[in-house]
Amino acid sequence: MDWLESFWLTYSTLVLSVGTNILLALSVYLTLACGLLTVANAAFMGIGAYTAGLLTVHAGMPFLFSLFFGSLLPALVALLIGRPTLRLSGVYLAMATLAFGEVVRILILNAEGITGGALGLNGIPQLTRWFDVALAVGLTLYVLLRLARSRIGRTMRAICQDETATELMGLNVRAYKLFVFVLGGALAGLAGALNAHFTYFISPNEYGFERAVEILAMGVLGGTGSPWGAVIGGVLITLLPELLRGLGHYRPLINGVVLIVIILYSPRGIWDLLHPARGSAGAPATH
Amino acid sequence: MFPQQFVNAISLGGVYALFALGFTLVFGVLNVVNLAHGAVFMLGAYAALQAALYFQAPLWAAILVAVACSACVGWLLDKLIFAPLRARHAPHLAPMVATIGLAIVLTSAVEGFFGAENLRFPVEILPADTLSLAGVRVTWLELRIVFLAFLLMGVLLWGLKKTRVGWALRGVAESPKAAALLGVNVEALFRVTSVVASLLGGVAGVLIALYTNAVFPHMGQPMLHKGIAVVILGGMGDIRGALLGGFFLGFAEVFSVAYIGSTMRDAVAFGLLFIVLLLRPEGLFGQAAQRRA
Amino acid sequence: MTAVAVAAQFLSAFVMAAEIKFGVAEALTGNASQYGLPIRKGFELAAGEINAAGGINGAKLALVVEDEQGRKEEAINVFKKLIFQDKVLMLFGPTLSNSAQASDPVAQAAKVVVFGTSNTADGITSIGNYVFRNSVTEADILPVTLKIAAQKTGFKKVAVLYGNDDIFTKSGYDNFAKALQALKIPVATTETFAKGDVDFKPQLTKIKASHPDAIVLSALVAEGAPIMVQARQLGIALPFIGGNGMNSPRVFELAKGRADNLWVGSPWSVENPAPENKRFITAYQKTYGALPDQFAAQAYDAMYIVTQALKKIKLTGKLEADRKALRDALPSTQWTGATGPFKFRQVAGRGGKPAGYDAVQTAIVMLTKNNKYVIQK
Repeated sequence: MDWLESFWLTYSTLVLSVGTNILLALSVYLTLACGLLTVANAAFMGIGAYTAGLLTVHAGMPFLFSLFFGSLLPALVALLIGRPTLRLSGVYLAMATLAFGEVVRILILNAEGITGGALGLNGIPQLTRWFDVALAVGLTLYVLLRLARSRIGRTMRAICQDETATELMGLNVRAYKLFVFVLGGALAGLAGALNAHFTYFISPNEYGFERAVEILAMGVLGGTGSPWGAVIGGVLITLLPELLRGLGHYRPLINGVVLIVIILYSPRGIWDLLHPARGSAGAPATH
Repeated sequence: MFPQQFVNAISLGGVYALFALGFTLVFGVLNVVNLAHGAVFMLGAYAALQAALYFQAPLWAAILVAVACSACVGWLLDKLIFAPLRARHAPHLAPMVATIGLAIVLTSAVEGFFGAENLRFPVEILPADTLSLAGVRVTWLELRIVFLAFLLMGVLLWGLKKTRVGWALRGVAESPKAAALLGVNVEALFRVTSVVASLLGGVAGVLIALYTNAVFPHMGQPMLHKGIAVVILGGMGDIRGALLGGFFLGFAEVFSVAYIGSTMRDAVAFGLLFIVLLLRPEGLFGQAAQRRA
Repeated sequence: MTAVAVAAQFLSAFVMAAEIKFGVAEALTGNASQYGLPIRKGFELAAGEINAAGGINGAKLALVVEDEQGRKEEAINVFKKLIFQDKVLMLFGPTLSNSAQASDPVAQAAKVVVFGTSNTADGITSIGNYVFRNSVTEADILPVTLKIAAQKTGFKKVAVLYGNDDIFTKSGYDNFAKALQALKIPVATTETFAKGDVDFKPQLTKIKASHPDAIVLSALVAEGAPIMVQARQLGIALPFIGGNGMNSPRVFELAKGRADNLWVGSPWSVENPAPENKRFITAYQKTYGALPDQFAAQAYDAMYIVTQALKKIKLTGKLEADRKALRDALPSTQWTGATGPFKFRQVAGRGGKPAGYDAVQTAIVMLTKNNKYVIQK
């Protein structure tokens, strides 16, 4: 038990980061599985983090309330921009969501009066416990796995395969896409809210392009065949720098090399390596 | 103030357009979002810088060194990363993630070798003359950049319209399968495209490094953001669009600083991008895709 | 008899050959490494000198160096590793103010002294009484710089240009704005830029059109140098007044030929002829083959400050007690090093309670002329 205590003292932040990164990877998994490349989740994470952080610090709200609103607000924003944005596809969707993300970041940066701008928001109390994160991850995984097996899941797979045919069958494709997008936004917001409460301090630049790229890398690397792929991706991306710590100066270099090697070796992600998809069930026909 | 800002906008537009040319080429033909383009851009600048510092090379030689280096990287990029992924019918996001990895590798390698600080070209290499016409000031270098952007665009367009390689490229961009059926060596063309695009990126790197007096490992990042915006605004894969998009963005940024407020400079760029995408996804100047093969 | 004496000495030396472990968490890779690496050099130079002179009460200093990459999550992880795994006596770092906001609370909660040498933003020392820094805040230096520059150049109104997305330049701006207001200097226009921007001509053109007598600039050299060059290219011959981000000899390389007429205030100047400073500069040049900068100088002094405090206490070998003893001995420490006479001043934290310790030093105001910093009296 002593060992566990000292392990936790040193590595608690790392473990919690693994958890929130898994949540982020899961938030893109939903849309990524269909080749819907939405890069907005970093911005949703930021909205969630700031909402929850501001509520706790300035309004003195209890933790669970902050978490709730931290997930709700990004979901609402996703609802708002989802409708027009999801009409786009492929790389255009990616760029639109990227642009949206940058606009959000700049707005947070300039809304100094509320968010503190570049000076960031500090003094966020350490309220996230390991079971908060574990619960969030566990619940999300459970819901997503059930979803995959449900009618909604089958509809999503149908949309992936052939959007036009699915629409012709009378199913409201737009509504399903929106649902998935909004759910992703809520998850990313939750991850942001949890993260804010174990890192004391947040600033707008953490939720920009670099973060968006990192989330994407987690999703693609882990594999989009199943939510477990997101878990793998989240764990890998978070732990890799730590595992490479001994390499000192070469750490970022090796990090990049590992990324390339994994993608080259298994372009569909690591999950595909373990559970090869029969046929191209996940590959959209039109890209 | 207006005349000077107008000139500022044209110079900035030229800078953006130059960067976007290579970027849009890779997307148009290879259908890949090359997130390593910023790193190649940066490599071109460093290559030229080393040539100038250690071999006292004059500017034209330094640029040739940059061209050689970035062309090599472009070749390796296709041979080692894009081609294998094509062969395995990888999902279209896989090459993009690989280019993310490549960008990290190149950036940290350069940072390890040369340090993270800003470096600059030796003063002698840079013609420092400033022209002053009617109260407006512009340097020869800026004029050269704008000129070069137009020149390169002209060359590329001519190449695509009038040469056989150009026709083949357009065929491949439209439909690789059809082109292959028609006997076009698609793989070779992909390789050529990657080389040309990287070479353009490298040249852009040198010129922009001279313009801004700053060479540093992460210099590709902000350019990449803007480059993405330019290419979308102008229409992905459209050469003219890259130029027009570049100037459009340059003007939008400069005038938003001049008349709205400098804090909103980037918000305007990306906000515009967002709106354009919602209203006209093919870009302001692109053609609507007839069918997506 | 002598044999016993020798044996006794040998034994006692053996017992006293304990090591004092300091943690050093700085950005050694990534963009912030341009500051982190000189900081490390400053620490290592000082530690080397101290060990060569016999260490502290016979014990040698050992530095445990970790790379926090200039990222806040990494800073937290590294702090925890140094505190709980390596069990260091105290920590130096991190490099960026952003990281400090996230990682210093960890040290405070673990009751380990954390000593920043490059964090100047607000909200850091107010975290708690285990947080120390010797990097003088802009709030203390800028008013002095402005006053002297105003005296010497007689400027009546200024334009302000600052980076609004970086905590260092934004914090600098806030202090500039306060100082300008206090000195009743009107501001013609305020413009911003973002980190990584390379084109500043739109902002500079707008500034030129507002006809100021000087430009107040809150930037790091990476943006500051191109700003000066582009300003001169646009025909703006006005003086620049910079925060201590502009106090770096690199401005002469980067803005070659156009770096003159820049006012900067800082506790450290490469031109300061004080003997402690000259000794430091010579030693640094000999060891590393280059001139030091402000970051190296402050790190160097910080190491000496901590060891001064160490000399006053007796280490028992019990980590918790020793860490607390060091913390208690530090606030009253005074030292004259490369950055001049130094002492601490306690600041208030949240809710007005006494918290951490800021630096008290006098600023040296300099003007660049002919590619040198010329000290102004």
